[in-house]
Amino acid sequence: MKKTIIALLTVLFISSFMFGCSSSNGDGEDKAEDKWAAIEERGTVIVGLDDTFVPMGFKDGNGEIVGFDVDLAKEAISRMGLEAEFQPIDWNLKETELNSGNIDLIWNGYTITDARKEKVNFTNPYLDNRQVIVVLSGSDIETKADLEGRVVAAQNASSALDAIESEGAGETFDGGEPILFDTYNDAFMDLEAGRVHAVVADEILARYYISERGEDKYAVLADDFGDEEYGIGVRKSDETLLSKLNDALDDMKADGTAAEISEEWFSENIVK
Amino acid sequence: MDMAPLMLQGLKTTLWLFVFTALGSIPLGMVVCILRLSRYKPLQKAMQLYILFMRGTPLLLQLIFIFFGLPVIGIVINRESAALLAFILNYAAYFAEIFRGGILSISQGQYEASTVLGLSKTQTFFGVILPQVVKRVLPPGGNELITLVKDTSLAYILGLGDVLRASRTLTNKQASLVPLFLAGLIYLVLVGIVTYGLKRAETKFDYYR
Repeated sequence: MKKTIIALLTVLFISSFMFGCSSSNGDGEDKAEDKWAAIEERGTVIVGLDDTFVPMGFKDGNGEIVGFDVDLAKEAISRMGLEAEFQPIDWNLKETELNSGNIDLIWNGYTITDARKEKVNFTNPYLDNRQVIVVLSGSDIETKADLEGRVVAAQNASSALDAIESEGAGETFDGGEPILFDTYNDAFMDLEAGRVHAVVADEILARYYISERGEDKYAVLADDFGDEEYGIGVRKSDETLLSKLNDALDDMKADGTAAEISEEWFSENIVK
Repeated sequence: MDMAPLMLQGLKTTLWLFVFTALGSIPLGMVVCILRLSRYKPLQKAMQLYILFMRGTPLLLQLIFIFFGLPVIGIVINRESAALLAFILNYAAYFAEIFRGGILSISQGQYEASTVLGLSKTQTFFGVILPQVVKRVLPPGGNELITLVKDTSLAYILGLGDVLRASRTLTNKQASLVPLFLAGLIYLVLVGIVTYGLKRAETKFDYYR
């Protein structure tokens, strides 16, 4: 009797938990509605970002959230007559945070991929990116084909991982899959220690890292894991927010504000 | 150094999470312990189950469940409260078992002796049993507190910027290991302070010798 009760409660707990997870992860829930009115009333748009992602959005030494995407977001959202509020999140849970309404936008070097399109809506792309392969200078890896049988690292839940998987390249790596780190810094440190032989990363982030650690230490291969674009993730149901954001971004591109912000962070205009 | 303000911000998060979890989970642990020791069977079972779930599932999962799972059934709480709630519920289970161990370690003979001396149940518990229990639960309770100092870093999953997350951000920014080393030093100092406090408490309760 006692055992039955315990078993029943266990099943109840576990099933309610799985239900909880699956539905908060779920995409396109039918109960979802356009939240524009609520956002307007609140006066702020909550931007979710991984605050360790340099140089797109990160905390500086003073604890202020800064970055290229942050400046872009502040400008775009103020053009919508609202204020931007930045909420650090764990990058693995970004879509869950968005769909459970804790944040309104994912704006942090967020690559547009087909898999992500099933969970969120994207604005028009605003930046080009490439998944580059970084090795130590002097490495015998010179082409993408050389990666076969080698140890390759990437960030967890990143578009680099998606790109590797979509090409089916992961299986040819040593261990049958890439090594996944929570942040790219870990991946690059492992590269330097010689335990991984290559890192697949967003070009923008890789360039920043290489410039910090010394240009002569690393080499970026001519081969890559494909071109891609950055967009801003919006809840599927938030059609109004999406169109207003697209308008604001178009305005900023047209009047040169976006280019100014880009030059400030990258010393060149890479906004598209 | 330009990383001090961010680290201090992180330290603030770590500290409040530590202090409030300790303040919340120790009393709750006492309540759970008392209910666990009650003679009423269903209550006993319920507490056993509670302790099983809290100790049997990762704290990280409990954090995610409370923050993302509860809104599904209509309970929406903010990040800080969710983190605090998960930590308190989790640590209360451990404290409850530590307190239970302390109470059970007192021999039956002492209860019998107290009865013989004509002490009431309340007098026995507060005058004879509890003072000894306090002494005995201090070392394992201290262990738990020290673990808690370091476990606060799990709050990163809800995007709360604690010391460890702050140092990881700085590590990314500066591409160096120094911030992580600094974080280690901060934890060491915190644990040092907790250890000192525990030692003082042990000296204070060093009666019956």
